[in-house]
Amino acid sequence: MNPLFGSSAIARRVVTAAAWVCYVFLLVPSLIVVPISFGNAGQIEFPPREFSLALYRQFFTDPAWWGSMVQSLFVAVTTTALALLLAVPAAYALARSNLPGRGLLRGLFMMPMLVPVIVLGLGLYLQFSDWGLLDTTLGVVLAHVMLTTPYIMISVMSGLQHSDVALETVASIMGASRRTIFFRVVLPQLGPSIAVGALFAFLMSLDEVVVAYFLTGTDSMTLPVKMYSSIRWELTPVLAAVSTLLTVLSLLIALGIIALQRKTEAQS
Amino acid sequence: MTFLSASAAPASANPVSVVPTVAPAASAMVELRAVTKRYGQFEALHRIDLSIAKGEFVTLLGPSGSGKTTLLNLIAGMIMPSSGQIVIDGRDATGLPTNQRGLGMVFQNYALMPHMTVFENIAFPLQVRGLARSEIKRKVTDVLDLIQLGHVAGRRPRELSGGQQQRVSLARCIVYNPALILMDEPLGALDKKLREQMQLEIKRLHAELGITMLYVTHDQDEALTMSDRIVLMNGGRIEQEGPPDTLYFKPETVFSAEFIGSSNLIPGEVEAVENGTVTLRTALGRFPVPAPDRPVRAGEPAVLLVRPENMVLTDRPGPTGVTGRIEDSILLGGVVRHFLRCADGTTVIVQELNQPGRAGARRDDTVRAAWSVEHGRLLPPPPAR
Ligand SMILES: Nc1ncnc2c1ncn2[C@@H]1O[C@H](COP(=O)(O)OP(=O)(O)OP(=O)(O)O)[C@@H](O)[C@H]1O
Ligand SMILES: [Mg+2]
Repeated sequence: MNPLFGSSAIARRVVTAAAWVCYVFLLVPSLIVVPISFGNAGQIEFPPREFSLALYRQFFTDPAWWGSMVQSLFVAVTTTALALLLAVPAAYALARSNLPGRGLLRGLFMMPMLVPVIVLGLGLYLQFSDWGLLDTTLGVVLAHVMLTTPYIMISVMSGLQHSDVALETVASIMGASRRTIFFRVVLPQLGPSIAVGALFAFLMSLDEVVVAYFLTGTDSMTLPVKMYSSIRWELTPVLAAVSTLLTVLSLLIALGIIALQRKTEAQS
Repeated sequence: MTFLSASAAPASANPVSVVPTVAPAASAMVELRAVTKRYGQFEALHRIDLSIAKGEFVTLLGPSGSGKTTLLNLIAGMIMPSSGQIVIDGRDATGLPTNQRGLGMVFQNYALMPHMTVFENIAFPLQVRGLARSEIKRKVTDVLDLIQLGHVAGRRPRELSGGQQQRVSLARCIVYNPALILMDEPLGALDKKLREQMQLEIKRLHAELGITMLYVTHDQDEALTMSDRIVLMNGGRIEQEGPPDTLYFKPETVFSAEFIGSSNLIPGEVEAVENGTVTLRTALGRFPVPAPDRPVRAGEPAVLLVRPENMVLTDRPGPTGVTGRIEDSILLGGVVRHFLRCADGTTVIVQELNQPGRAGARRDDTVRAAWSVEHGRLLPPPPAR
């Protein structure tokens, strides 16, 4: 047990209580939007004087709102799919091969995690305006693939560390090609870590504002960008409904990630 | 003792015995020619020449770090030799990728696919070979019967005991009938009783299926029990190779003598060589020893080997014997082992059959341990290290 607090039950309870206070402190500002979202369509007020679903109705009937929601979901799903296609084989190759310059390659893949997002956004803005990718869905997707790939790779590489290389060796001795080994030996064992990486990538893409703000316009606006501009220009109470929806979605995904991680731990 | 007489018979009188060094290359399953493996400056294997005949059971025996696993991995193609050539089934396989060598391998930690059932694990190599589904089912079922594990076909490996897992991993090899099965200490993780059972099982499979096997162990008893031939490794070289009884009864070096069985080694100097007998002068006296096959000259150092079971405690005088005080006697079931301390401080081990009602020698008795001249063996002195 932690020597600082000893093992006394009281000390432990105090620590637990303190932790909960912190959680609440962090959570309340985000949760306050939940009651607001069930308020009147007229204005932002807390606590709401009457209960209604008017804000949600407004969200789903205004094509500017739910259109950007659909756009965001589309971008997130496409991003996740592409990033998986890129990150999983890359992680496998980096973890298992001994090709020269491996460290450099790994560094290159991890770069987007280290560069400040605002710098990345600016750089991509300049590059994509050259290529004519500004205000296109493809542009945001490419940028998000870049941002999320390292996270999937980290998750997959840690999964690979838990899986036994001897299994791949034995498969190879039994005559399996590299391809067969990847699909029949490696991939099935990586299921949970791939799923964690994918959920994480989905979540990141779904609420990414900075880069998307640089790259999107009226044609390709994602939900977070739409929210951000609406805060600046109109401050409509619909924002509360959108935030609540996003929070619930994120919460569900986070719970999914936790459940998967439990599962991997139980396996190893 | 039938063991001894069999070994004394000339090789030509025994038509089934395989003498690989003279076997024609065509019948060799694996041939290593001057294979060297270096890791940087360190030489893990030095110019290994080894030939394994079809259907033979060869054991690589040696202390930790002697290069056994390295040799196996070279044959499997997991690592490439620094120089030399590897021929598998008459085909140069030196640069051949692992998955094209047509071998099988059994690991100490089983290496079964955790996400597949026992059935799927065994079916995997057959699927890789593109066999029809019905044929796969038939073959897997057959081999599961062979190892008597049909009732666990639907289980995952982690739901099996260690012994069962190792049998499955053996079955997974046998099922596709590889040219050669490599085993790296396959029984190392099992307890003694199970290990002995599995040794017999592997021997049985080898006899029934006639698959060539190369088996790594550092357990001398395992090597003696299982092998047609033992290849004793020492520091990246082959120290000696031959059938188990040859290695036991005719070790050629002090290392071989010490590694297999227990031994009394008495160092000395050759005094005279005449009529096929060498006279060795030692700190314990002068002893006649049968002259070895290699030439020896008077004045050179040599070591006398006498196995403890070839020594007897006796009162009868004779040319070969030492006197000492019994320091300790330990009972090993059917045999008893006496530790004699001689005048110059050397310890000599005598092993006798333990018969009931016999008035045995007691501790602190001063006794004479003797051996017949033909049981002594003259070895070259160990290289100075
Ligand atoms: N990848 C490597 N790099 C450097 N040295 C190595 C490497 N692999 C093995 N060696 C060295 O080669 C020597 C032989 O190793 P090997 O694994 O073949 O021994 P072994 O006979 O199988 O021993 P054990 O009975 O302990 O398994 C050892 O000294 C080892 O340190
Ligand atoms: Mg080894």
